[in-house]
Amino acid sequence: MIPILEIKNGTKEYRGIPAVKDVNFTLNPGEVHALLGENGAGKSTLTKMLSGVVEPTKGEVYLNGEKLVMKTPLEALSKGIAMVYQETSLVPSLTVAQNIYLTDDKKFHRLRGIYIAGQQFLQSLNFHVDPTALVSSLGAGQKQMVEIARAVHHKAKVIIFDEPTSTLTPEEKEQFFLLINRLRDQGVSIIFISHALEEALEISDRITVMRDGQHVVTDMTANFTRDKIISAMVGRSLSGEIHGSSQDKKVRIAGEKVLSVQNLSMQNIVRNTSFSVFAGQITGMFGLIGSGRTEAAKVVSGVLKRNLFHGGQVRLNGRSIRYRVPRSAVKDGVIYVTEDRKIEGFFETMSISENIYLGALAGGRTKAKGVNMREMKAIAKQWIDALNVKAINGDARVIELSGGNQQKVVIAKALVQKPKLVIFDEPTRGVDVGAIVEIHNLIDRLADEGIAVLVISSYLPEVLQLSDRILVCRQGRIVEEFEGHKTDEETIMYAAVH
Amino acid sequence: MNLRLSQEQIVFGLAVMLCIGFAIALDGFLTTHNILNLVRSVSILGILGVAMGLVVIGRGIDLSLVAVMAISVAWSLQLAASGMPLLYALALGFLFSLVVGLINGFLIAYVEIPPIFATLAMGTLVYGFGRYFLFNLDVLYVPDDAEYMIWFGQGVLFGIPVPIFLFAAVCFGAYIFLRYTRYGRYLRAVGDNQLAARITGIPARPIVVMQYMLSSQIGFIAGIITAASVLSMNTRIANSTFIYDVILVVVLGGIGLSGGRGGIRNVIVGTLLIGILLNGMTIMDIQYTVQNVIKGVILLSAIVIDTILNPRDEQTAQQGDI
Repeated sequence: MIPILEIKNGTKEYRGIPAVKDVNFTLNPGEVHALLGENGAGKSTLTKMLSGVVEPTKGEVYLNGEKLVMKTPLEALSKGIAMVYQETSLVPSLTVAQNIYLTDDKKFHRLRGIYIAGQQFLQSLNFHVDPTALVSSLGAGQKQMVEIARAVHHKAKVIIFDEPTSTLTPEEKEQFFLLINRLRDQGVSIIFISHALEEALEISDRITVMRDGQHVVTDMTANFTRDKIISAMVGRSLSGEIHGSSQDKKVRIAGEKVLSVQNLSMQNIVRNTSFSVFAGQITGMFGLIGSGRTEAAKVVSGVLKRNLFHGGQVRLNGRSIRYRVPRSAVKDGVIYVTEDRKIEGFFETMSISENIYLGALAGGRTKAKGVNMREMKAIAKQWIDALNVKAINGDARVIELSGGNQQKVVIAKALVQKPKLVIFDEPTRGVDVGAIVEIHNLIDRLADEGIAVLVISSYLPEVLQLSDRILVCRQGRIVEEFEGHKTDEETIMYAAVH
Repeated sequence: MNLRLSQEQIVFGLAVMLCIGFAIALDGFLTTHNILNLVRSVSILGILGVAMGLVVIGRGIDLSLVAVMAISVAWSLQLAASGMPLLYALALGFLFSLVVGLINGFLIAYVEIPPIFATLAMGTLVYGFGRYFLFNLDVLYVPDDAEYMIWFGQGVLFGIPVPIFLFAAVCFGAYIFLRYTRYGRYLRAVGDNQLAARITGIPARPIVVMQYMLSSQIGFIAGIITAASVLSMNTRIANSTFIYDVILVVVLGGIGLSGGRGGIRNVIVGTLLIGILLNGMTIMDIQYTVQNVIKGVILLSAIVIDTILNPRDEQTAQQGDI
């Protein structure tokens, strides 16, 4: 069988440093091929070479056995290779239909014409998206549908998905998997980059694992297990470490009530929600995207403002608080660790030391009066060691680190402010497997030290493994509370969706 | 290719090359007198460059800078001319510049108007307000008895003109501020990522107000030196293209308009290049219009070379530079 798409000895170097090295990769016609690996393993770079976004430094790409030289993604698209990105590449200010027909040859489109065509086309794919809606008004899942529709519209024979499911809700994921199957039935070949191993095991035909820019193993999915993939990804087996069963964990006794939220409301996102967080304990908060978890946490920590009237009450150690800016919350030791480190987490032009030191400065946790370089270095070194940040030294720029190490810097910047209550929002999103374990251990340690910890996550195994108590959030309020060791994934998920 | 140069180094290299070129080609260029004259003539531009640089590092821009400089100093001179002691008059002018900076900062930080529009409007407003309400003349003269003020513009210390010392002092102060003070660090953090700064507990909005107040203050200092050097303040400078020269210095030196990047060294390097260029062209007696062409070409080439040597990474490509 001639593979539909193949790369031989693919190498891509950035400034002399190879991101991908001598990788051979084949995609058979009509297969779903999952591409797995830790962050920085070279998955994205490999697929970018296959889709004409970057040119290989060395090596050749073959389409149906013919050598292919692609200079631009548009060229690749005309050959039938489409890539669907994690951050969507749609034009937000255009409508759905306009986006789908954007790169068509016709210079002018009658809007009515493309709306009618778009309606029929979307319906034929069974996508419930309004073709006249502005893309900026769509949710993440719908945006992805439009991206896929665009790829299908261009008669793509090969569609490459870069972490397609990370922004989707469970229902949207189900939809997405159905779609993948439908595309496969139509003879489309699919490459699928993912962090979620279960997904890869569920829908792929073959799996390729990469590590450090090199090819590790390719095999039929049936020959893989979770553990086998993980050990291929990290070079050691630590499945048990990551998500050990929650039963054999000892439950921490709740300390004093640090945070008490009553009838909190913010617009129509957080609706009359009430919950408490206790010292020396990890409180997990689970909910689907859009259930108001992040917003509730942001109101507590002063990032967002609750409603002026009937906004409810927030008490910290019994004292009623209403923070207007995060600064006051930070001064009181209420720290929010963001879910989106690139947007509101770290300072990209600065080094690791400067990032952590800014946290110390802003939290008023420095001894010296002004800025003291020696103190900066000392604080940075202490946290780099404590959190095992992998970098040459504190002068390395955060933007150059891997996702996991960036996250550790963001966490260090928060912890240096000596929090009483720390809120982790999706602490392990986009973090590689090794760093997940370290971050989890760190969170455990914080609770053991008597700090009140609130962990927000949409990844059930994480919530189950970490939490002593689990709060379930649905449609802007906390609907259920479970004891961490007395529940399971099904129960929690049931509460979250019904 | 492992040779990676920053824009700052490119511009510095250009300046050195120009300097060597002029030194060989032009007779009067490499004399102590001319070099001092050169630095002296650009020190006002350099000081304004520091003011603008601070704002740009904080991811803003201050288009009202030259107007504030001209009007606040002109008002001081008007007050002094009508009998007020010079020191009080200057203090009031300084206060005026502070208030303008405060309003700029408030509009940008709290009303959330884009800096480019807020300061553009403020520049026009300040000029019109000054011309209509504060004084009636275009040009205001420094009183003859204001010796200590004149010293700032024309004095000589250890054989070096005082404006050069003032330029150095402003640079040094701004350098210390950015690097060794809490608020300098905050300023850079806000310029880098305002959302992250806010969440980290940095008082983001007050810092934005502060940066515009700082730039107005430094602008006032530059205004005093200007007035003292030529014994008058011509308020029409507010309507000239001078503000673009200031931006040229900052951008040429390599302070990214995306905020958080660069420092005072970049301003100095940018100022030096412009200074050498202007001085050489003046000695060669090149027309003013042709000088503008050359300045434009230099700016474009510096940016092009920088883009070739330091390609934008994906992140900046997606977010854009401003």
